[in-house]
Amino acid sequence: MDTPTIPNPIIVARNVDKRFGSFHALRNVSASFSEGQVTAIVGPSGSGKSTFLRTLNRLEKHDGGQIIIDGIELDDDPKHLCAVRREVGMVFQSFNLFSHLTILRNITLAPMRVRKTSKEEAEAKALALLERVGLKNQALKYPVQLSGGQQQRVAIARALAMDPKVLLFDEPTSALDPEMVNEVLTVMRELAHSGITMLVVTHEMGFAREVADRVIFFDEGSILEDTTPQAFFTNPDHERAQAFLAQVRHGF
Amino acid sequence: MNWTKQYPGWTMFGALIGLLAFLWILAIPLSAAPSPIGPAAQQFSEGARITVWLTLIAGTAGVFLGVLGGMGKLSKVLPIRWLCDFYVWLIRGTPLLLQILSVWLVAPSIMPPGIELSDFACAAIALSLNIGAYNTECVRAGILAVPPGQIEAARALGLSPFETFMDIILPQSMRVALPALANNLASLVKDSSLAYAISVVELTMVGYRVQAESYQPIPVFITVAVIYLILTTAFTTLTSALEAKLEVGQKR
Repeated sequence: MDTPTIPNPIIVARNVDKRFGSFHALRNVSASFSEGQVTAIVGPSGSGKSTFLRTLNRLEKHDGGQIIIDGIELDDDPKHLCAVRREVGMVFQSFNLFSHLTILRNITLAPMRVRKTSKEEAEAKALALLERVGLKNQALKYPVQLSGGQQQRVAIARALAMDPKVLLFDEPTSALDPEMVNEVLTVMRELAHSGITMLVVTHEMGFAREVADRVIFFDEGSILEDTTPQAFFTNPDHERAQAFLAQVRHGF
Repeated sequence: MNWTKQYPGWTMFGALIGLLAFLWILAIPLSAAPSPIGPAAQQFSEGARITVWLTLIAGTAGVFLGVLGGMGKLSKVLPIRWLCDFYVWLIRGTPLLLQILSVWLVAPSIMPPGIELSDFACAAIALSLNIGAYNTECVRAGILAVPPGQIEAARALGLSPFETFMDIILPQSMRVALPALANNLASLVKDSSLAYAISVVELTMVGYRVQAESYQPIPVFITVAVIYLILTTAFTTLTSALEAKLEVGQKR
């Protein structure tokens, strides 16, 4: 992989390998990400991009290779795992808000349990975050009472409440009705400018092109392209990437 | 939307107070009744109290056993799974009467010297074990019904497996398991009558004695049946109010 060496990377993945039974999901994937970088991860379905993202907080265990997050190696040591998950937030395609808890409680739960923040402090912070995503007056509702776009914005606030150094987005707009995609992208755009490290698996090529500093193209479990949005969208090196772009370009 | 659903907290409170008040004053209206009920009012009242105690103790212990069993049946540790499978298999496959007799007959020989279990305690243990086995299956189904995304979200936020279980899995599984658990509790109110076999003087036993002395089975058994109906009504009101309380955040 011709990844340029990056000064003090916050995420280092070296030769990561992952199989699901006979399916080879990740083949020898290596990539480093520096602090504050916003990376869009694109590629056809089943190419391994979501799997790669999920190995970074060990929702999927990698079978081979090495993953180091903020100096901590992800391995079988539960202490390492705990430390990494504290620093890495995740936003899911299907939001996964805790359905039995209010919006406020969804956001305060992890800071209170994991960071041992006091209830008052956690709630004040949660309300501030809700304001940031434009949902301050929804604090006492339950997730089911919110629209998809609102739920996803709450999910982003929930992840931010842990003050993560890295935010992973796993197709955050794919489960949304088209008219709700923008409200979520707006929040993500604002986040991208705030200096947090973001890795975004997405099909939103407009977002990737406009907001990302870097685009990674996955195909059949390996990284095929790792370049700037400019280069990727105007002149991709590989035929697979060209074909993929031709397919998704129909949209716009 | 009925009253129970609208004010579950008050309903639970009311059902509990009603149950206690009923047990407290039961003897007064009964003593005004003609023979053979009137003279035996105190016995009926005492018997109803024993029945309620057996139900409350075995019901509570049974929920704990059910949660432990349900977790155990889904455990990754094979011996734990075997143990729970064996427990459910044994209890569901044998008559409750036999279980009560077994505990009563076996307890004296396995208890350390100096500790003697009362007949009531033996009945409570046997009933707990019995309802616990049935609850195990309900709780297991409840746990399996929790969407995996909820667990992933909790883990990704850095919650430990224990915190994930207590904060997310258990409350959500209870929503699913509660109707079945309530069903088991309603059965337990009546199953506790089998404690008569080891001479625990609960409600049915009282009825049996009174009719044997008075040769008037019909009024006696009607009285017993009415008291059982009032007790089961109180218990089912309690559980359906609890159900309504846990329903928050659910699609209706």
